[in-house]
Amino acid sequence: MMKFATMSNHPTTDIIRFILDDKEVSINFTRTTRWTPTTTVLQYLRSLENHKGTKEGCAEGDCGACTVVVAQLENGKLSYTALNSCLIFLPFLHGKQLITVENLGSFDNMHPVQKILAEAGGSQCGFCTPGIVISAFALFKQHGKITRPEVVDALAGNLCRCTGYRLVIESVMHACENRKPDIFSGKEKKVVALLAAIRKDRSTIHLKTTDYSYYLPQSWQEALLLRQQLPEALVINGSTDVALRVTKKKEHLPLIIDISLVEELRLFRQTKKEMLIGAGCNLEEIRIAVREAFPMFSELLDVFGSRQIRHRATLGGNIASASPIGDTLPLLMAAGASVVIHSLKRKREILLSSFVTGYRQTALKPNELIYVIRIPIPSSAEILKFFKISKRKDVDISSVSGAFRLKLSRDKKISQVSLFFGGMAATTRPARQTEQFLKGKTWSRETIEQATVYLQKDFTPISDARAQAGGRVRMAANLLIKCWSETHTGKP
Amino acid sequence: MTKDRNNHHESAAYHVTGTAVYIDDIPVSSDALTGKVFFSQVPHAEIRSFDLREAKKVKGVFAVLSAKDIPGINNMGPVVHDEPVLAEVSVQCIGQAMFLIAADSEASAEEASGKIKVKFREKKAILTLEEAMKQGKPMYPARFIISGDVESALKRADHVIGGEFHTGGQEHWYLETHAALCVPGEGDEMRVYASSQHPSETQTLVAEVLSVPKNVVEVEVKRMGGGFGGKETQGNHIAIWAALLAKTTRQPVKIRLCRDDDQKYTGKRHPFLIRYQAGFSKEGILNALDVDLNSNAGYATDLSRAILERAMFHAENAYFIPNIRIKGTVWKTNQPSNTAFRGFGGPQGIAAIENIIDRIARRLGLCSAEIRRRNFYGARSRNKTPYGQIVKHNHLPLIYDKLLVSSQYLKRKNEIDAFNKKNEFFKKGIALSPVKFGISFTTSFLNQAGALVHLYTDGTILVNHGGTEMGQGLHTKIRRIAAKEFGAAIDKVVVNATNTSRIPNTSATAASSGTDMNGMAVKDAIRQIKAGILPIVADHFNLKFGKPKTRLTDLVFSEDHVIDDRHKERKITLREAANLAYLQRVSLSAVGFYKTPGVFFDWNTGKGHPFYYFAFGMAVTEVLVDTLTGAVKILRADILHDVGDSIEPLIDRGQIEGGYIQGVGWCTTEELRWDEKGNLLTHSPDTYKIPTAADIPDVFNVELLKDHPNPGTIHHSKAVGEPPFMLGISCWLAIKYAISASANHRKEPELNIPATNEAILFALEKLKSK
Ligand SMILES: Cc1cc2nc3c(=O)[nH]c(=O)nc-3n(C[C@H](O)[C@H](O)[C@H](O)COP(=O)(O)OP(=O)(O)OC[C@H]3O[C@@H](n4cnc5c(N)ncnc54)[C@H](O)[C@@H]3O)c2cc1C
Ligand code: FES
Ligand code: FES
Repeated sequence: MMKFATMSNHPTTDIIRFILDDKEVSINFTRTTRWTPTTTVLQYLRSLENHKGTKEGCAEGDCGACTVVVAQLENGKLSYTALNSCLIFLPFLHGKQLITVENLGSFDNMHPVQKILAEAGGSQCGFCTPGIVISAFALFKQHGKITRPEVVDALAGNLCRCTGYRLVIESVMHACENRKPDIFSGKEKKVVALLAAIRKDRSTIHLKTTDYSYYLPQSWQEALLLRQQLPEALVINGSTDVALRVTKKKEHLPLIIDISLVEELRLFRQTKKEMLIGAGCNLEEIRIAVREAFPMFSELLDVFGSRQIRHRATLGGNIASASPIGDTLPLLMAAGASVVIHSLKRKREILLSSFVTGYRQTALKPNELIYVIRIPIPSSAEILKFFKISKRKDVDISSVSGAFRLKLSRDKKISQVSLFFGGMAATTRPARQTEQFLKGKTWSRETIEQATVYLQKDFTPISDARAQAGGRVRMAANLLIKCWSETHTGKP
Repeated sequence: MTKDRNNHHESAAYHVTGTAVYIDDIPVSSDALTGKVFFSQVPHAEIRSFDLREAKKVKGVFAVLSAKDIPGINNMGPVVHDEPVLAEVSVQCIGQAMFLIAADSEASAEEASGKIKVKFREKKAILTLEEAMKQGKPMYPARFIISGDVESALKRADHVIGGEFHTGGQEHWYLETHAALCVPGEGDEMRVYASSQHPSETQTLVAEVLSVPKNVVEVEVKRMGGGFGGKETQGNHIAIWAALLAKTTRQPVKIRLCRDDDQKYTGKRHPFLIRYQAGFSKEGILNALDVDLNSNAGYATDLSRAILERAMFHAENAYFIPNIRIKGTVWKTNQPSNTAFRGFGGPQGIAAIENIIDRIARRLGLCSAEIRRRNFYGARSRNKTPYGQIVKHNHLPLIYDKLLVSSQYLKRKNEIDAFNKKNEFFKKGIALSPVKFGISFTTSFLNQAGALVHLYTDGTILVNHGGTEMGQGLHTKIRRIAAKEFGAAIDKVVVNATNTSRIPNTSATAASSGTDMNGMAVKDAIRQIKAGILPIVADHFNLKFGKPKTRLTDLVFSEDHVIDDRHKERKITLREAANLAYLQRVSLSAVGFYKTPGVFFDWNTGKGHPFYYFAFGMAVTEVLVDTLTGAVKILRADILHDVGDSIEPLIDRGQIEGGYIQGVGWCTTEELRWDEKGNLLTHSPDTYKIPTAADIPDVFNVELLKDHPNPGTIHHSKAVGEPPFMLGISCWLAIKYAISASANHRKEPELNIPATNEAILFALEKLKSK
C-alpha cells in the first residue's frame, strides 16, 4: 500500500461529477471498488447495464467503435466532440456531459443520423455502427457547412470492415445537409446550467484510494504546486499516449496529475511574427486556428491521428512525449519553435530542438511543466515544408517524416537550410552533414540527388513493423526530392 | 416489429441504436466468470514441466486447467485431429493455447496468468513458407489438376515467361474479436453462446472435448460482429475453452480475446508462394500454364487443404487455357494455423493468373484488357475448365463489353498515358480485372441445409435456418424469401437466432452459399405448410361461396392473404387461414431441407463438377501513385457484377463494395510482418492498416448485371459474399501499371501482394536499376 501526501494548502474535493442520461452522476472512488481513477470511460460504460452500445474494438484509439461524444461548456454554450472512450480516464468527465449512442434515440424515435444509416444500408454486421453514429452525430452538431471531405475526415477514425464506407459517407452527408434542431437542442439550457454548477467549484480534485492518488488541479498555480510537491507523479493531459500504458501494457499508474482542467493552458495568441500556443490546446482546435497563418502546420494536423484523437491529444503532450515519430516535432523544430517552461519558482524558454534530449527524453525537470509553445510564423521568403510517409494516409504513424526549411538567394543558391527528420533515429534529428553539403549550393535537381548520399551518413535507421531500414533511407531521400519538386521553378 | 420496415438490414434498427446484442453484451448472472487463455510465447518447444500452484492461489481464481483436465478428446481440429485444445507435450507455434484460467475478474485472471511457470526445451522453428519448402516436407502430398499437355505446349509457344509470385496473409479484422459465453445447466447440459460461423461444428467439438453427447450441448449464434471466414473454425476454439472452464467451475464463463491476442494468435489468410511458367502466342493467347501453388498452413491443418483446392480451382480464373498443370501443396510452419478468409484461396489463385496476363500484355506491348478478352472462356467452345466442368451461362464477354463502355476504359487509358508522359513524380495506372468464382462447397457433402418454419395463429412467421448472420445480410434475404413465399408482409416475418437445437447437423455459413442453400430449405418448409393450409381454405371458400368450386390450384398466397385467383372476392387473411388450419388440427410448422444437386469431385482424377454455377464480375480501377512516397490514391472504380436476380439489391451492393474494399486492403496496406523469433510485429491496428473511409475511390460506380436470372437457384439469385473480394486485384494491377509507366512499360516491375508504399518504392527503385 502506498501513502501519498495530502495537499493541505488548498481546498480539495474527492468526487467527480458529470452528466449521463440527463442526470448528474457523481463517483466517489473511495466508496466503490467497481471503478478506479484510471478506469477508462469505455470500461465504465461497459460495466453499466444500459450502455452496452459503446463497443470495444481495439482499446487503443484506432478503430472508433468506442466513440462517445463529450459535451462541454465553451463560452456558455455546449460544444460536442467525438472522443475515443477507450483512451479517457473517468476523471476527465468531471464537469462535462457524456453522450452515448443510447442517448441519441430509440427504436421509435431515432435521431436523424441513426434513421438514415438504418434506411440507407449503412450497417452490415453493426459492430462499428454505434461508433459511426456517434461520430456522425458530433459532425451533425458542428456549425457551418459540411462538405464531403469533412465527412470523410470525421469518419476516418471509425474502422468498418464490412460496408466499404460509401453508403456510410453518403448517409452522413445527407443527414448533415438536412440538419435541424434535435433532441439535444431542447435540453441544452438545462445541461449548461448543470455543468456550470459543477464547474463553479474550482477546488482541486483529489481522488484518493488505497491504490491511487489522482489530482485534477483547476488552475495553473495549483498544477505547478502539485508538480513541485509530487515530482514523481505522472502528468497527463489528453492521455492519448499515457492511456495505452493502462489499456495495453496493463500498467498500474498510482500517482497522476491530470492537467486537462487547467484553463490557462488553452491559451492561443497570434501576432504578425509569432504564435503562442498553450500546451493544453488540442490538435483539432490548433488545426483550424493555424490554417491561415501557418497552413503547413494545419496540413500536418490533417493527417495526424483521427478527429477523435486530435480532439484529445494536446500539443504539449505530443512534444513532451518526445517520440522519434511524433509528427509536430520536425516541423516545429525546423520553424524554430521554442518551449516555454514553468515551475513554481522559475520560468524558462528553450529551443524545441534542444528540448528533446533522447528517445522519449526531454530537458524537463521533475518540477516543471510546459506552459506554451512559441512558434515564429514562417516568412514567405522562406521555404518550409513538411512531409509524412505512412503506410496508410489517415490515422497512421509516420514511417518517416521530414521538415525542411530553406532560404534561397536570388540566384537560387541555398543560403540557409535546416532539415529535420522523424523516424530515422531515436529522436527527431537534423541531418547535419546533408545541411552542410547543401549550404551555398544551387537549389537544383542535381544538388538534391547528390545530397541524398549525405543522408546515409547522417542516419542509420532501424527496421520495424512500419518500414525496413533500407526503405527508410529511400523514403528520406525521396522527401528531399519531393521538397525540391514542389518548390523549384523553371526547368530542373 | 413494424419499426424496421424501411430498413435495409433486418437488424439495422438495433445496430444504429446500439441495442444489437453481441456476445459481450449478453446479460450474465453475478456468478459469471472471466476466462483467460495462457498462450505459448515460443514457436516450437517441448514442454519439460509446468507449475500452476501459484496461479491457483491467486485471490478470485476459480480454476486453472491444463491438458490433463480435459475430460474428453484433446482435439479441436475440425477436419483432421491435429490441433490440441491445450498443448500437452509440445507447443508448435506462438499462440498455441496451453492453460485456461477462470477468475472473478479480468485482473485476477491476468495476475494468475503471470504466475504460471513453464519450462520449455526449445526446438528449431520453421517461421516462413520459404523455409518450409526448403526443408521439403509438405504437410500432405501435392495435388494436381491436369488438362492437355503442358510440356509440349510450352515448347511450341511463341513466348514463354516464368517467375515467382508472393501473396501475403491477411488478418480478418472483424470488429468483434473472438468471444464465447458458456452457461452450464442441469447435469451435463451446456449452453454455448458463440461467435461462430459453424454452430454445428462448435457443438460437435464441445461435446467431444467435454465427453458428453451432442444432445446436451446447445449452441446459439445471434449474430457476429463480422466473420469473413475467421470464425468458420476458429470461433470453435474460444467456445471450447469457455465450455471447459464452465464445466469445471459449474459457473457461466465468458472468454473474449483482446484485439492484440486475436491478431497475434488466431489464424489468417494463407500466404502463398506461386511459381509459374506460361506459354502464349504472338496474339497473347495463353496456350500453356504450369503453375505451382504453395500455401503456408501454419502448424495445423484446419481448412488448409480445402483452401488450397479452391486456389487450384481458380488458378485459371476467367480464362480458357487448354494445356494446364496446376500443382498445389500445403506446407507446415510454426505459426498459428491459417484459416478461411473470404475467397478461401480463390484470391491467391486469381491474383497469380492476373499477374501473368499482365506480364503477357507488357511483353507484347498490348493492352492488358484486350489480352484478357482474348483469353476469356467462350460461350460454346473453349468453355471447359481444367477440372472438366463446362462453364455455362458465361457472362464474361457481356460484362466486359458493358464495363469497357461504362468505365470509358480506353479513353481514360489514353489520358493516363498522356498524363504519365508529362509527370515524372506522379504516375497514374488503370486496370481491368475479372472474377469467375465457383459456387458450392468443394467438399460435396457439405452442400446441404435445413430450416424450421412456424406459422403462428396471429399470422406471424418465425423462420429458423442453419445459416449464421455475420453482417452479410443472410437473415435479411431469408426474411425476404419467406415473406415472398408466404405472400406475407415483410414485417410479419422474424428470422430467429441460429440454434443447434432447432436446426441440427448444419454446414458452416461459408462458401458464399448461405442464401442459396438455406433459402431453398426455407422455401421447402413453407411449401409444406402451405400445402397443409390450402385444402382448409378451399373447403372454407366452397362452404361459403358454393359453386363454382375453388380448386386447390386456384389459391395463391399474396398480400397477407390467401386468395382464389379466379374469384378475387374469395379471400381471407393469412391470419384467418392459420386459425382455420389450427382449428382443423393441421400442422403450421415444417422442417425444410435442401441439397445442392449434381456437385461432385474426384481428386484421384482431378476431374468433376465441383460447382453448382459460377458468379461473374469485373472491375476497372484507376489509381494515382506518388512515386516519391509510394502513396496510392484510388481515383475511380467501376464495377459490374452478376448476382442473378437480386433478392435485396442494397445488401448485394453492400457486399460488392465491402468485398472490393477488403480486397484492396489485402492488395495494398495490409501487411503482416514478423520478427526473426516468430512474433507478429503488425499485431494491432496501430501497425496493421485496413482501409478507412478516406481510402475508398473518389468515384465509386457499382452496378448489378441486370436481366440475367440464374436458373435453378432461390428466386434466381446468385451468391455474392466472396466473389467481389477478388475485384480488388484490379487496384493492385493499376498500381503495377503506374509503376511500370515510370519505365515506359518496357520493363517488368517486381511487385507482390501487398503493394505497400514501401514495396512500391522498392519496385520503382529496382526498375530504375534494371
Ligand atoms: C490512435 C492514435 C493515433 C495517433 N496518431 C499520431 C500521429 O499521427 N502523430 C503523432 O505524432 N502522434 C500520434 N499519436 C500519439 C499521441 O496522440 C500524441 O503524442 C499526443 O499528442 C499526445 O498528447 P496527449 O495530450 O494525449 O498526451 P498525454 O498522453 O496526456 O501525455 C503524453 C506525455 O506528455 C507529457 N505531458 C503532457 N502535457 C504536458 C505538459 N503541459 N508539460 C509537461 N509534460 C506534459 C505527459 O507527462 C506524458 O509523458 C497517436 C495516438 C493514438 C492513440
Ligand atoms: S476501442 Fe478502438 S478506438 Fe477505442
Ligand atoms: S458493419 Fe461490420 S464493421 Fe462496420
